[in-house]
Amino acid sequence: MEIDAVAKNFQRKLSVYQSLDERFEIQKEMYRGQQYSQIYFIRLHKMRSLLYSLVEKWKPDVPVCTVLGLEEGKECIIVGTLYKHMKLKPSVLDEYSKERSVAPLVKSHNFMHPDDQLVLEDESGRVKLGGTFLAPSMFVTGLVVALHGKETSAGDFLVQDILEPGLPPQMQLPCGSGEDKYVVFVSGLSVGSNTSNPLQLQLLIDHITGHLGDEKEQSIASQIVRVVVAGNSVEITLGLLNGQALASKDQSRLSEPIKELDILLTQLAAAVSLDIMPGPSDPANFSLPQQPLHRCLFPGASAYNTFVSCTNPHSFELDNVRFLGTSGQNIDDLGKYSDAEDSLDFMERTLRWRHLAPTAPNTLGCYPFTDKDPFLIESCPHVYFVGNQNKYKTRLLREGQLVRLICIPKFLETGVAVVLNMRNLECHTLSFSTHLDP
Amino acid sequence: MATGSMKNYYKQKKSGIGKSPSKPKSKPTNKSPAISSSLGSDLAQPTVLIAHGSPDLKDEFGEDEEVLRQFDLNMAYGPCLGMSRLDRWERANSLGLNPPKVVESLLRGGKTGVDCLWDGRV
Repeated sequence: MEIDAVAKNFQRKLSVYQSLDERFEIQKEMYRGQQYSQIYFIRLHKMRSLLYSLVEKWKPDVPVCTVLGLEEGKECIIVGTLYKHMKLKPSVLDEYSKERSVAPLVKSHNFMHPDDQLVLEDESGRVKLGGTFLAPSMFVTGLVVALHGKETSAGDFLVQDILEPGLPPQMQLPCGSGEDKYVVFVSGLSVGSNTSNPLQLQLLIDHITGHLGDEKEQSIASQIVRVVVAGNSVEITLGLLNGQALASKDQSRLSEPIKELDILLTQLAAAVSLDIMPGPSDPANFSLPQQPLHRCLFPGASAYNTFVSCTNPHSFELDNVRFLGTSGQNIDDLGKYSDAEDSLDFMERTLRWRHLAPTAPNTLGCYPFTDKDPFLIESCPHVYFVGNQNKYKTRLLREGQLVRLICIPKFLETGVAVVLNMRNLECHTLSFSTHLDP
Repeated sequence: MATGSMKNYYKQKKSGIGKSPSKPKSKPTNKSPAISSSLGSDLAQPTVLIAHGSPDLKDEFGEDEEVLRQFDLNMAYGPCLGMSRLDRWERANSLGLNPPKVVESLLRGGKTGVDCLWDGRV
């Protein structure tokens, strides 16, 4: 029997990790019965101070006024929060309306209608926006913008121009040591689903941990410094969670997906640093920011200090490269209330609006903060990722600063994971297939 | 007899002079019409409290509370519901809105209401 030549032991590359999730944690928050008006106030205040400074460079000779201070026919600039009045948006009050028209059942994908109207609101009042400059399909409720225009005799505001906050300032991308270091993004593992293929997931883990392939592949795998799991790691069959007490045999079925996930994550955590984010179908709280999955769900993996349970949205720095990402809820919600060619456009818009989730708390569940709005993007990330999307898509924004936008596809459906090279922000995919078709 | 006692009954008072005790004024019962248009009982009309010569329509609160209520109602510092007044003051301070220092000293003094005007009422 031939003994293999001395197997090369590859050392995995290291990188310095710093989590910036503190702003998304809500342990210190205390609920005192407040409503969402507080978070809207903070958002308006912070964005308005920013916009006032930008407006001076944009149109320095046009006066700025509040909504209540509008005079008919006088050109001015107003800053406020946008509200989009949507006919088809489901409202809980419809249940109580006396006239029960034959309204269509709520279709979950898009509530847009040609008659949607935009309104601008600040603490003094609100004004309807008229004219054809603004296309309501591009905007959602909750954005703070500056508008240039004038009040018409009909009482609405004729918009001539709009100023969005634009891309936030970015810290310089580090020049790097010249060596390639990779970060793997994967989302939508959906362990426990009927259609999940455990072999596909095992292939992914084996590749990352270096158990697959020859030396060349293993050396590539040793350059992976971190794995980020962006949400929807488990899928618990909905039939089990119908509010009734579970029989004992069902109770074990409830926890099996998590146990299976823990076994897989233990293998990963033993070999590489791992970040796991909660998603819409994970056992975490519903409203954003979702809190980290509890350590007790992962008895095996949490024993390793390479295992980090993170919030959703998740922000971190790796070798001074800043990452920011979510498990998809913010972009999916934008897709229901506005229109764009693809998810990358939505992502770009959220960066230009400097707000991760403008529809929160209107249509996206959110914690009622009183003293901060954690979704405001103050510093532009170098890498902005969104999980649980339908297809893999990526774009590099170049506007004096580089931002890599990544849409991570659902692993359950596509078998694709995304690999990012931190040296040059290039992206490629890892695709796993277990088809045995001839 | 009626006219004679009327003058004593309805004392002529100047507003602002707080000498006389707040004597309840009530219409004498022999004046109420036999057929009353008011619903319910035929008791005399309810009394009107007069204090210091002007109708006492406000709850018991002083100037301090008035200052704090103006602070509550000021829209520049955000909505007042759902937060204690001191928290709202501190938030306004950290946002650089320069809330009046008078309000802070009143709130830290501890003798005034902790919550805003409408707390518990809305």
